[in-house]
Amino acid sequence: MLEAKNRLGLIFFPAFDWCISPTHPEREERLLYTQDQLREEGVFDIAGISEYKPEVAGREDVERVHFCFPNLEAVTTTSHMVSAGGAIKAARLVMEKEEEKAFALVRPPGHHACKSVHGNRGFCNINIEAVMIEWIREHYGPLRVAIVDTDCHHGDGTQDIYWNDRDTLFISLHQDGRTLYPGTGFPHECGGVNALGRTINIPLPPHTGDEGFLHVIDHCVLPILEDFKPDLIVNSAGQDNHFSDPITNMNFSARGYAMLNHKLNPDIAVLEGGYAIQGALPYVNTGIVLAMAGVDFDAVREPDFDESKVRQSPQITEYIKKLCEGMVGLYLDPPKRPKVGDAEGEWFVRDKDIFYDTEGISESQVEYVRICPHCSGTLKLETWSTLNPLSVGIEVPLNACDECNAAGKRLLEEAHLKGNYRVTQYINRRERRYEHYGF
Amino acid sequence: MYLGIDVGGTHTDAVVLKDGKIVASAKVPTDHHNLFSSVSKALDSVLYDVKPHDIRRFNLSTTLSTNAIVEGRTEEVGVIVSSGPGIDPENFRIGGFYHVIPGSIDHRGKEVRALDVAALDRAVAACREAGVSVFAAVTKFSTRNPAQENAIAAAVADQADFVSRGHRISGMLNFPRRISTAYYNAAVWRTYNEFADAVAGAAEDYGLLSRINILKADGGTMPFSVSRDQPVESILSGPAASVMGTIALCDISEDCVILDIGGTTTDIAVFADGAPLIETEGIEVGSYPTLVRALKTTSIGVGGDSRLHVVEGRVRVGPERNGPPMALGGARPALMDAFNYLELTDLGDVAASRAGIESLAALWDTFPEKMAREAVEASVTAILDAVEDMIWAINAKPVYTIHELLADKRVDPRTLYVMGGPAMAFQPLLSRAWGGRVVVPENYAVANAIGAALTRTTVEAELFADTEKGRMFIPKFGVEEAVGANYRLADAEADARRHLLARLGEFEALDEDPEVDVTEAGEFNMVGMRGERGRNIRVKCQIRPGILK
Repeated sequence: MLEAKNRLGLIFFPAFDWCISPTHPEREERLLYTQDQLREEGVFDIAGISEYKPEVAGREDVERVHFCFPNLEAVTTTSHMVSAGGAIKAARLVMEKEEEKAFALVRPPGHHACKSVHGNRGFCNINIEAVMIEWIREHYGPLRVAIVDTDCHHGDGTQDIYWNDRDTLFISLHQDGRTLYPGTGFPHECGGVNALGRTINIPLPPHTGDEGFLHVIDHCVLPILEDFKPDLIVNSAGQDNHFSDPITNMNFSARGYAMLNHKLNPDIAVLEGGYAIQGALPYVNTGIVLAMAGVDFDAVREPDFDESKVRQSPQITEYIKKLCEGMVGLYLDPPKRPKVGDAEGEWFVRDKDIFYDTEGISESQVEYVRICPHCSGTLKLETWSTLNPLSVGIEVPLNACDECNAAGKRLLEEAHLKGNYRVTQYINRRERRYEHYGF
Repeated sequence: MYLGIDVGGTHTDAVVLKDGKIVASAKVPTDHHNLFSSVSKALDSVLYDVKPHDIRRFNLSTTLSTNAIVEGRTEEVGVIVSSGPGIDPENFRIGGFYHVIPGSIDHRGKEVRALDVAALDRAVAACREAGVSVFAAVTKFSTRNPAQENAIAAAVADQADFVSRGHRISGMLNFPRRISTAYYNAAVWRTYNEFADAVAGAAEDYGLLSRINILKADGGTMPFSVSRDQPVESILSGPAASVMGTIALCDISEDCVILDIGGTTTDIAVFADGAPLIETEGIEVGSYPTLVRALKTTSIGVGGDSRLHVVEGRVRVGPERNGPPMALGGARPALMDAFNYLELTDLGDVAASRAGIESLAALWDTFPEKMAREAVEASVTAILDAVEDMIWAINAKPVYTIHELLADKRVDPRTLYVMGGPAMAFQPLLSRAWGGRVVVPENYAVANAIGAALTRTTVEAELFADTEKGRMFIPKFGVEEAVGANYRLADAEADARRHLLARLGEFEALDEDPEVDVTEAGEFNMVGMRGERGRNIRVKCQIRPGILK
């Protein structure tokens, strides 16, 4: 009988009762064939692989991470709380050493959900990886975490949440933003004022194949991880780089995904996008599960796989080689200040406009981050949208220094006294205060 | 009248019931080398003063297939599989004649690679040369599309006495389990059918005109004719017989534990809300997981005939058995001898028991009473520890009863039902050591045979429909029907029900008014690049297991 080299926990939550609309890519059917494939392969009978039920995330788990406008209930459903709870279950298994690794095969996904949430964008409402990571830090201390996002779309939500967090390394591999939603994720976006070099974006040209992805892992991701020395590696395991995905243009294969996962060796993987639900997901997920468990995945491939058809062109190979040369340098020696935004006294200020494609909401933000050499810096986020009038979120980070903690309290008082905010949200991670004012 | 026979590891029990009352019963020792003679002796005994013509139903539970597998008395099987992409099928190699043929069917039942006919011919030729004459044909996703399994079966037909096709055993998805299940089904086929012929002959000789049913491990029976093609489903039916017997004898509506203390083993089963728990996928046979549905039971090597021995100054009971206890003419002291010594029982020759315990005590330089008491206590502790472990394991996972999934249910049994020969002797001891109520039902000694007699015939089946393909398929029955674009979940449930009852109608007069449970049902929109293109529907249903009134 097959035996896993690494004990692996699988959390399966296909949300068979949640969809954006009956024909939307993010619909009930999405994980159906993956479930069929994993069952037919007998994956759950492999010694060392166990299936677990997801937990349900509590409101405090979300409010620890997000500013939700006008409130949590307005932007989430039970399925979102179970999906985030599935990620939390994965983390719990690994942190309690019940399993060596865990993979949350859950939906709805989360990596486009930003710090501030007014609704659904890019099929995401709440950022399930961030909810999971902050749950880990709340219960197991301030760990250093690396997130490697292998979804085809730039993980702009995760980038936004960890923009100023110097203890979180966020690396995103994605199809070049000039050719795909959400249109961001360029190398110059390399972190906020207090965390320069902690965000690394690697935009890949359309039709990048296995060779290109694995080159990036070998020559860029692994060297950076080696230097960062994370306590935990999380893979945002989107599967829409697959050559058969209907809404992207890449040439990645199921074996390539398995190989990537084998090289990356993440502690936790969380499913993100991937919409070739019949031709790709069943095989990609089987490959990732086997790779994580340390079981031979050599015979995993798509039924219609033809290497010659998905091989990348020499020009792409050349382009990616050049791209990678600069990346490690960007991490080791980042620019002295972010490209976008300006210093105003002790604050670094930038304006942002965010479009919620799924629901047609337009949000505008002014983001103030306290420039701080000691910690990730207190954040004030003024936000208004086509749904919500001017509101504000204030966050004191987990590693806040005394000055930043005091600044956060001062900001909250000011918001009460003279802010014209409909809703004020206050997150003080250092003091574990999570408050919501207004309606 | 109903006749039930349970061929157990130590004894073969038989009862004849009329209106729920026992009108005849018998207990004969099981002859492992000739199970049929045990059945025939039991028949002899119970039919002595019962008119065979009055018997409407003859249900038989036998360890034949289990023993054949455990003792390695199985036949070589030509296992021919096709797999396609996924885990390397070499990992599922079983038996000496395992052949992987290129070919592939995907999760929606689409053939993505035709079966390699040349490779199939080579495999068939290799089996012919080796003189193999029973086969297992198993392909990945055959429960979505059996075409390749059928093609393999056709290719071996002229040299095969029997071919076990994976999709006809179970409609569940699990390729490795399907391989091992089909393998064992073929491996015990001949032995089982020889036994079945003998039983059929004997029934005829006795003038038994009733239908014969064979017990399955999931608390149901299958008709004799079905068992000849699916002998693997008769394995481990003994614990199910006891469980069904308890349901017949006791009015159970709460969480409880059932102990069947036999000669060789103690079988433990757990009930949740009055229904026995089931293994979610299937039981393990010979260390291979299979798709054979079974009640969740644990067996430990503690029984009345368990040998007593001393390890590191402590008395141990079992797990092995060395013939009967000395009270019944055995050569070495067993657990029942300790009970006899302590005057908790007066089985057979009590003096022989005393002598046996005394000599064992002398050997280890201890007091015979101390030795006997330690043996009895060790057996009680071993049983209760196993009960506790089993409940802990059950509560760590989702709980399924034979009727349904009980979400977020914690099993917390407060009652222990004890059956089997030594039940009465164990009752006060278990009662003292265990916090809850300990009940020994009336007729406890033949509860297994009563369970066998009264167990209903059951069938379960999975239906899979794909309206884009315009097709509905029930693998287990080999039923394929065309369906229209408007086919919905409700239609699928009605179809599943109809075919299930029709199938049962082939076996039963349908005078029992069986209940059909739909245990799983799902309907999914399938969407292509140009919008909705059909629905993918799955239904799983069963005749509710139970006992005849």
